[in-house]
Amino acid sequence: MPLLAHASCGPRMPESCAVVTTGLTKRFGHRVAVDSLDLAIPEGSISGFVGPNGAGKTTTIRMLLGLMRPTAGSGTVLGYPLSQYKSYLAKVGALIEGPTFHPALSGWDNLAVLARLGGIASARIAEVLDRVGLGDRGHDPTRTYSLGMRQRLGIAAAMLPDPALLVLDEPTNGLDPHGIAEIRAMLRSFADEGRTVFVSSHLLTEIQQVCEHLVVIEGGHLVFQGSVAQLLASRAPELAVRTESPDDVDRLVALVRRHGHAATVSGRGAEATVTVSASCGWAGELNRLAMAEGMTLVHIAERHSTLEEAFFEITGSCTEESRERRTQAVHTETSDPPKVEEHTR
Amino acid sequence: MIFRPFKSEWIKLRRRRLWYGSYGAIAGVVVMTTVVRIAGATHRVGSSGNLTLTQLARAGGLAQGVTGSTILLGAVSLSIAAAQFGGEFAHGTLRNLLVREPRRARLIVGNGLAILSFIVGAVAAATVVDIGAAFVMAHARGVTTAAWTSGTGMGDLGIAVGDMAIAVCGFAIVGMILGILLKSSVIAIATGLAVLLPVETIFTDAVPETARWLPGHLLEAVAQGGTSVAGFAAALVTVSAYLAGAVAVTLLVFARRDVTS
Ligand SMILES: Nc1ncnc2c1ncn2[C@@H]1O[C@H](COP(=O)(O)OP(=O)(O)OP(=O)(O)O)[C@@H](O)[C@H]1O
Ligand SMILES: [Mg+2]
Repeated sequence: MPLLAHASCGPRMPESCAVVTTGLTKRFGHRVAVDSLDLAIPEGSISGFVGPNGAGKTTTIRMLLGLMRPTAGSGTVLGYPLSQYKSYLAKVGALIEGPTFHPALSGWDNLAVLARLGGIASARIAEVLDRVGLGDRGHDPTRTYSLGMRQRLGIAAAMLPDPALLVLDEPTNGLDPHGIAEIRAMLRSFADEGRTVFVSSHLLTEIQQVCEHLVVIEGGHLVFQGSVAQLLASRAPELAVRTESPDDVDRLVALVRRHGHAATVSGRGAEATVTVSASCGWAGELNRLAMAEGMTLVHIAERHSTLEEAFFEITGSCTEESRERRTQAVHTETSDPPKVEEHTR
Repeated sequence: MIFRPFKSEWIKLRRRRLWYGSYGAIAGVVVMTTVVRIAGATHRVGSSGNLTLTQLARAGGLAQGVTGSTILLGAVSLSIAAAQFGGEFAHGTLRNLLVREPRRARLIVGNGLAILSFIVGAVAAATVVDIGAAFVMAHARGVTTAAWTSGTGMGDLGIAVGDMAIAVCGFAIVGMILGILLKSSVIAIATGLAVLLPVETIFTDAVPETARWLPGHLLEAVAQGGTSVAGFAAALVTVSAYLAGAVAVTLLVFARRDVTS
């Protein structure tokens, strides 16, 4: 069951949505790449579009841009029906499935090809190159560009038409943390100008900080749609519990389960931690029950779920092993959470 | 607004290496033909089939470098055109173009016209170089060039170059169609050259009359101003009908196809 939490964009206020889709579906033969997707992307904000590899992000984006014909479903972009993509694309900028250019042409010429085609004044080329920090390298052939420069040139190309809607497919893919932060700052500034930014990534952590709205898909299905706060709230609370004696761990798990809560163990020996599916309101009760059975608890804490964990919870991509690794990561205060690919089935 | 895709394509065609490569190749082919033909011209009619110096000195003599290189020019233009369109698929840049110009037929036609103008320009430039080479060679072999510079001589050259330009555009259109349908420069060029040259020849070797119906041979007939098998007008009408049909099918397929590259 998808967790549908419509943000500012409910069925009652469709006029405030830059993108709306209903039952959007794309089949390739027997494979369903996008399955009855209902999107509602609020206008003037940054919306993240997150899902593991092969989730259907690019396919969805291609349908929104008139590059692929939906098998079923309908929708609107900037108020126009999807079938009238020729009318709305003039106000849409896009970077689809990574940046692509003519390698022998300079960055400037690559943008000029698109500017001429769209009837965009040449003066705009220098503007967008400066905007993404490529002003001084604009006349070098793009084959000499680093990946970070190519991503930025791709964003510059998307900015050419001064778009009301900016669709960026994995603009942070392959970048180092510094490069990712730069792209995030850029997205922020675009949204501050009143543009709607729809940005996809297979790594939630790369874009979570700037996204006001999130769409999570997996296997072509919508798994979550709403604000980041709603995503965090939608996750069941957990308690991390440690016993004084490692021998008590199994008894504690049995006790918790007898009282109707789920429990899992991570770590071994003195490091063993029992994760209990309960809110901190149950912590006192748990402590009393444990004491009554002669167990001493040395640590009870509510686990603050990272967005990444919430994402795993929602996509159901969490295996016992990966949970253990994550817990370790939390304990060692690693700021860099494990990557999604490691956890997808 | 067919002009926008036309101007856009010209930015890609301005690439220095493409320019030197294709203008150089086309001029080279024409000049080479002229040099070989004038150098190989005989004093008397022989069994070799070469031109005689007397034939060369006639009004049409100046044009034969252009007329004699049909197949090579056709192959070069087919390849250039196929590479321009196939490259859009290979580089993955087609999707970017289609966001800026979602009217797909307009995009293809505008880009295609730009490519044709590029190739016609190459034929014109080659002709200028060829004229220079022909006079130099004529001087070397002692051929009188008075008839070449006469009104008839210039007229013959104009007609020869015009016919060649039409034929070369035909080859280029075949290249574009294959580039779009096969989504790859290499496969399109290989297919185009294989069908137009050896495959057609298998048919004409067996039944010479088939030359009247095979596109490669028809384009060749157009370039030569008509042959014994296919007259100029008939060849032009037949091959134009083929190309119009093929272009219509290509535009239809391209307009409906999902863009996955
Ligand atoms: N042209 C196509 N033909 C057949 N199947 C396709 C085609 N394009 C995409 N698919 C399939 O559709 C599914 C979704 O692919 P899509 O590229 O949309 O995923 P994605 O979310 O963008 O993944 P990634 O993060 O790897 O870019 C995949 O199973 C893919 O194999
Ligand atoms: Mg993708």
